[in-house]
Amino acid sequence: MLIAFIDTGALAKTVAAAFISGVGITLIFSLAIYGTSRFAELGREGRNSAALAYGAIGLAAGLAFVGAIVVGIIVMTSK
Amino acid sequence: MAEQDLILYIVVATALAFDFTNGFHDTANVVATSISTRAMAPRVAVTYAAILNFVGAFISLEVAATIASDVVDAGAITPLVIFAGLVGAIAWNLVTWYFGLPSSSSHALIGGVVGSVVAAVGFDAVMGEGIVGKVLIPAVVAPVVAFIVGGVAIVICYRVLGRQRPGPVTRGFRLGQIVSGGMLALAHGTNDAQKTMGVIALALIANGNLAEGSDPPTWVVVSAAAAIALGTYSGGWRIIKTMGTRIIKMDAAQGFSAQGAGAAVILASSHYGFPLSTTQVISGAVMGAGAGKRVSAVRWGVAGNIVTAWLLTFPAAAAIGALTYGFTRIFGTGALGPLIVCAMGLVALAVFLTKRARNPMYATG
Repeated sequence: MLIAFIDTGALAKTVAAAFISGVGITLIFSLAIYGTSRFAELGREGRNSAALAYGAIGLAAGLAFVGAIVVGIIVMTSK
Repeated sequence: MAEQDLILYIVVATALAFDFTNGFHDTANVVATSISTRAMAPRVAVTYAAILNFVGAFISLEVAATIASDVVDAGAITPLVIFAGLVGAIAWNLVTWYFGLPSSSSHALIGGVVGSVVAAVGFDAVMGEGIVGKVLIPAVVAPVVAFIVGGVAIVICYRVLGRQRPGPVTRGFRLGQIVSGGMLALAHGTNDAQKTMGVIALALIANGNLAEGSDPPTWVVVSAAAAIALGTYSGGWRIIKTMGTRIIKMDAAQGFSAQGAGAAVILASSHYGFPLSTTQVISGAVMGAGAGKRVSAVRWGVAGNIVTAWLLTFPAAAAIGALTYGFTRIFGTGALGPLIVCAMGLVALAVFLTKRARNPMYATG
C-alpha cells in the first residue's frame, strides 16, 4: 500500500502550514498596501484621524510582513 | 595520478556541471514573475537571484545524503554510478531547457542515480519507500497545494484591494516582489546547492577521501555555491519566458501572490521535513494565481506540456542514467568510459551551440 510509505503527519502539517502562511503573507501585504494607500488618500483630503487609523493598519501589516520574512529566514537557517 | 582519483575528479566536475545546469534551469522559478511584472529589469533580477543563491548555499550546511540513505542502497553507490546518474540529470535538464519546460532538477538527479544503480546492481538496490515518499507523493502534492494557495491568495488580494487606485497597488506589489523573489532565491540556494554538495561528499566518501558522516570540505561548499550562482546568472531565458508569460499574462499582484505562496509552501515543507520540488511549487502557484483571477486566463495547453515534462522527468533521467552506466562499463571500471562520455557530451554541446549561433531563431538562451 502506497499510504504505508507516506509520513501522513508531516504531509498534513505541511499542507496546513503552507496554506496558512501562503495565504496569510499575501493577506498581510495586501493590508499593508491598503492601509498606506488609504492613509495617503485621506491625508490629501485633510481627514487626518481616519488617515491615521488606516496608517496604523498599514504599519501593523507591514511589521507583520517583516516578521514573517524573519521567521522564514529562521526556518531556513535552522533546517 | 591513480585511476580512481581521475574518476573522482571527473565525478566532481560533472557534479558541478549539474549544479550549473540546476541554477541555469531553475533561475526561472525565482525571477520569471519579477521580470514579467517589471518589478525588476531582467539582468538585475538574475544577478540578484545569483547572489542570493550563492548566499543561500551557505545558510545551512547540514548535508543529508538523501540519495544514498533514502532512495537507493548506499552500498551500491560507486563513483561510476554517481557519474552516470549526474549525466542522466544534466541531459534531462538540457532537454527540458531546450523546449522551455520547467521541470524538477532534484527529480532528474534522483531519477538518474536510480537508473544507474539499477543498471549496476539491479532493482534490489532501489528503495521503493524512498521513491514513493521523496518523489511520487511530493510530485502530486507540491503543485496541487501551491495551485490552491496561489489561487486563494490572489482572490483575497483582489477582495482587499479591488477598489484601490491601480498605480500605488502595482508599485506596492512590485516592491513586495523584490522581497518574495529574494526569499525564493535563498530557499533555492539552500535546498539545491546542498544536493550537489551531498553528491560530491558521497563521491569523496566512496573514494576514501572523506570519513563517513563528515561535513563536506570548504572547497566543496564554495564550489557548489559558485556553480549554482553562475548557472543562475547565466539565466535560462527559454524557461523564464514560459514561466513569466506563456502560462498566464500576470499583473504585479499575481506575481507577488505566486512568489509569496511559493516561498511559503517551500519553507513550510522544509520546516516539517516533507521535500517538495521548488519548480513544481512555483509552476503550480503561477497557475493558481492565474486561475484565481479567471480560469480561462491560464493557457492550459502550456500547463499540460509542463505536467507532461514532470511525469517524464524521473523515468527519462533514469533511462539516460542507466544507458550511460551501461556504456561506461563497456570500457571497464576505469576512467576511460567517463572520459569518452564527457568528450561525447562536449562535442554534442559544441555542435548544438554552433547550430544555434547560425540560426537567429535560437538567439535567446
